[in-house]
Amino acid sequence: MKQTMLRLALLFCVLTPLGVLHAEEGPTLKKVNISLDQTTLRKGLNVFTDVCMGCHSLRYMTWRDLMTYPEIGLSRQDVDDLRGDAPLSARMLTELSAKDAMDSYGIVPPDLSLIARARKGHGAYIYSILTGFEHDPKGRVPDGNYNVYFPGHRIAMSDPLGWLDHDSEDEADLKAQAQDVASFLTFVGEPHQVERLAIGKWVMIFLVLMTFVLWLLKRAVWQDVEH
Amino acid sequence: MIDKMLDSKVAGWVDDRTHLIRYIRFHLIDYPTPKNLNYWYAFGSIALLILVLQIVTGVFLAMDYKPSAILSGGGFSVAFDSVERIMRDVNDGWLIRYMHAVGASAFFFVIYLHMARGMYYGSYKKPREFLWMMGVFILIFMQAIVFFGYLLPWGQMSFWGATVITNIIGAIPFVGDWLLQLVRGGFSVGDPTLNRFFALHFLFPVLLGIVVLWHVMALHVVHSNNPVGVEASEKNIIPFHPYYTVKDLFGIGVFLIIFCWFVFYHPTGFGLMIETDNFNPANSMRTPADISPVWYLTPWYEILRSVPNKLLGIAGMALAYVCLFLLPWLDRSPVRSARYRPVYRSLLLIFFVSIVVLGYCGHHPVTPMLTVVGRTASVIYFSFFVLLPFIHKFEKTKPLPEDI
Ligand code: HEC
Repeated sequence: MKQTMLRLALLFCVLTPLGVLHAEEGPTLKKVNISLDQTTLRKGLNVFTDVCMGCHSLRYMTWRDLMTYPEIGLSRQDVDDLRGDAPLSARMLTELSAKDAMDSYGIVPPDLSLIARARKGHGAYIYSILTGFEHDPKGRVPDGNYNVYFPGHRIAMSDPLGWLDHDSEDEADLKAQAQDVASFLTFVGEPHQVERLAIGKWVMIFLVLMTFVLWLLKRAVWQDVEH
Repeated sequence: MIDKMLDSKVAGWVDDRTHLIRYIRFHLIDYPTPKNLNYWYAFGSIALLILVLQIVTGVFLAMDYKPSAILSGGGFSVAFDSVERIMRDVNDGWLIRYMHAVGASAFFFVIYLHMARGMYYGSYKKPREFLWMMGVFILIFMQAIVFFGYLLPWGQMSFWGATVITNIIGAIPFVGDWLLQLVRGGFSVGDPTLNRFFALHFLFPVLLGIVVLWHVMALHVVHSNNPVGVEASEKNIIPFHPYYTVKDLFGIGVFLIIFCWFVFYHPTGFGLMIETDNFNPANSMRTPADISPVWYLTPWYEILRSVPNKLLGIAGMALAYVCLFLLPWLDRSPVRSARYRPVYRSLLLIFFVSIVVLGYCGHHPVTPMLTVVGRTASVIYFSFFVLLPFIHKFEKTKPLPEDI
């Protein structure tokens, strides 16, 4: 009896991981090193304002945030140069109107504030998209809209970094841009993450010490109980 | 020191007028406990701690949250914006929200272990049947509460999860449509749904708190069972304080290490506690490819999904709960602890595996293979309860000790 049950349990243990293989689909994303240091984030910000912001907004970031979050920590002068006439408290919105976007691309480009959190693969997904433009082997999707990492492989965004047909000397630069902007968007998705990890370390150290003391206390109290 | 405080004049004055000190003594200090309780018995205290944490963090979140599905531009809503405001602009708002979100998962994790402990050591048996039933009620109540709570961020999974699960109600004969509209406050999940779910998500935990207090008081009437499952003699009984206060505190320390590791290092629980798709604002025009409830609801969801007919599926899920309620009467063996019941023990472990498998299947999109696995697991889940009334007839229990 027990033997059969054990076997049944084993069977499940075998079947379940099979299910995992079954459920996974889509191409494996490219690997990217997401770093949240100031240099990378500032470079990523520049790529964003120079390129992406032509179409995309960051509705949860204001211009002032670029000064107040120490991870980016721009000076007032730098922010003034970027924001133009927009007030400091304004959100970082694109100038592309929804109507124009519909006319040009047939879709309003999504807000990117949370894109790094809202896609499986997170930063690696953004990086893969930006460096994933190819010629459609079947020749159906026009150049600049064929992207293996996008569901359905047809994306309405046309190759923003100019990845397709890039020179071999540009390759490193484009990869760096994609990596920087992916890092920047990862930061924007959760601007308190650096702080979170920094606090977390101390919390963990404190808790481990506290728990150790509690263990000693427990041992001392239970000493006289035979168990 | 505590003794001194409770014996003080002030305490005496309060006690003469409210009996408060007497209750504290009875429930937290003198409560007689068998001395052989292991760490599995810490999950009750841990669950109590999480309940308090959830209520405290929840109240703070409610101060900045706005339950409104009204659009604020670009497909975002007032509710979604207010959650992001908490995450970005409210002082330590991110920490409070993560504690609340991870806390919900932790609560279920701990309650499931607490229940597994009860089943393993036969803690549901006479005289603790009522205690067990209250526990099952608490579980169902908690599931209702998280279901309401998960709608509040008004993300894609909030919206579609609520749509799929409330749809189930519509399959109930005769009253289904009426009930569905009552729950949703309209024909589809929308702003009225969000408003009433917020109201209920605020009210129900308070009621849950009352039921939990009752659960603890009821425990203190029938007293704790123990891993051996026989009554402890006088000499093996020790007071709750200081023995189990320190033991539970150590357990709580270990729990907090794991809890905070998630809060600070993996606050979305690898996409299990806050699902990735929930960072997309709710969009009624775009159905996600894969709608799955959060992990702690998936075993029950999978039982429902295993039955091809919707109405029978509901009946199956209801039956799954009814079986749990009836556990004290389905099991007819006089021996409590699984330590002395080889057959029950094996069946129980398989039962636990079946729940894990159900949870796994319920979390993934349907594939022909997962359907087969899910159905098998459902059958195993129910077989446990079907076999239970009969196993005492042939089970050779190991000899029980006189005392613990
Ligand atoms: C010419 C306008 C334009 C520019 C410039 C642009 N995008 Fe896009 N982007 C779009 C459009 C349109 C979509 C919607 C694509 C779709 O859904 O098919 C999109 C979608 C995306 C997506 C989401 C894909 C998904 O999973 O939904 C990401 C990520 C993205 N863009 C990143 C960027 C980054 C980073 C930059 C800057 C390097 C950038 N975009 C520049 C127009 C643009």
